[in-house]
Amino acid sequence: MDANVEQQLILRFSLATFLESVRLYEEGIASVEDIDIAMRAGAGLPQGPFQWADTRGLDVVLQDLEQLAKTLGPRFSPPQSLQDLVARGWVGKASGQGYLSHS
Amino acid sequence: MYIKQVAVIGAGTMGADIAYVMANAGIPVIVKDVDESALTRAQAHIADLFQARVARGRISAADAQGRRDLITMTTADAALVEATLAIEAVSEDMRVKKRVFQDLDRILPPLSLIVSNTSALSISELASVTGRPQRVAGFHFFFPAHLMKLVEVISGQKTSADTIETLRRLAEEIRKIPVSVKECPGFVVNRVLMASMAEILAFQQETQVPYSEIDQAVVKSGIAPMGPFMLADALGLDVALEVNRTLFQAYGDRFRPAPQLEALVEKGHLGLKTKQGFYSY
Repeated sequence: MDANVEQQLILRFSLATFLESVRLYEEGIASVEDIDIAMRAGAGLPQGPFQWADTRGLDVVLQDLEQLAKTLGPRFSPPQSLQDLVARGWVGKASGQGYLSHS
Repeated sequence: MYIKQVAVIGAGTMGADIAYVMANAGIPVIVKDVDESALTRAQAHIADLFQARVARGRISAADAQGRRDLITMTTADAALVEATLAIEAVSEDMRVKKRVFQDLDRILPPLSLIVSNTSALSISELASVTGRPQRVAGFHFFFPAHLMKLVEVISGQKTSADTIETLRRLAEEIRKIPVSVKECPGFVVNRVLMASMAEILAFQQETQVPYSEIDQAVVKSGIAPMGPFMLADALGLDVALEVNRTLFQAYGDRFRPAPQLEALVEKGHLGLKTKQGFYSY
């Protein structure tokens, strides 16, 4: 697989995982912490989806999504909670606060 | 509320694993099934699990025997009259489950809890056939339940906070990790897994990259312990498609079942169990 294609694959996999997790959170189905725990203990992911996004940087994730929404369609549209956090400057680990608190 | 005795309804692999997990934590369990041969198989499965722990030196043979003795197998409803919690683990069929819930509501003491191990069906609908909807919830183990740490504790519309608290505490007592989830199709884990699976299937269709290369890339990147195609084959493609369809109905387009998956199921290629799925075995 071409290195670029492989990078796209991993990004789409990670973003799809993250986006569905955000929907669960925004719908009030479960807390951010519990979703991360569930995906680690129930699916064996080494890192919960919110931990992943906070580590990548929510500003970067927002750009990723805007880009993919253009090429692949609205299923990649950035969710409201992500836009709000980035607008507030809460971009994740780098700022000490994102979906999770990193203090 | 303190859980003194657990009843497991349905002696399939899941029911047997759950009974093992309870007994291993020192909680008396009654396993009930209408099918005598299912009980015999469950008993053998549980004996194997304890034997494996003894063989690994984790517990003594005497301890294993003591814990096994906490499990009673029965075909009789009358054996359930003192259960403080019943865990329903019968087939994923709403009509069958409703009948079980009605029976349990009649047999169990009025303050006892009734929970379902369903991975898909509505908790509120199950609760509605009982006279105790505040004491009905989902208690979703993952396969194989003797190894997987997670339990999704699912509240229906009328489930009380007390019920959830009791179930969370029980999950910890049996050395599992509870997460609280409000009822929705797929709950948390299956919904997120299927969303990523759908995206990977779309990617595969666009790029025609072989399944094995995709799996290898996912594992190599360290984002998941197993490639999505291998995972789906292990789970069973019929099961995966069923979950996929339920989620498509509930949430729409992003879960539209992929043609590759539908084609395999149509041909009877269901994964590991038929020796052919995304991979040949």
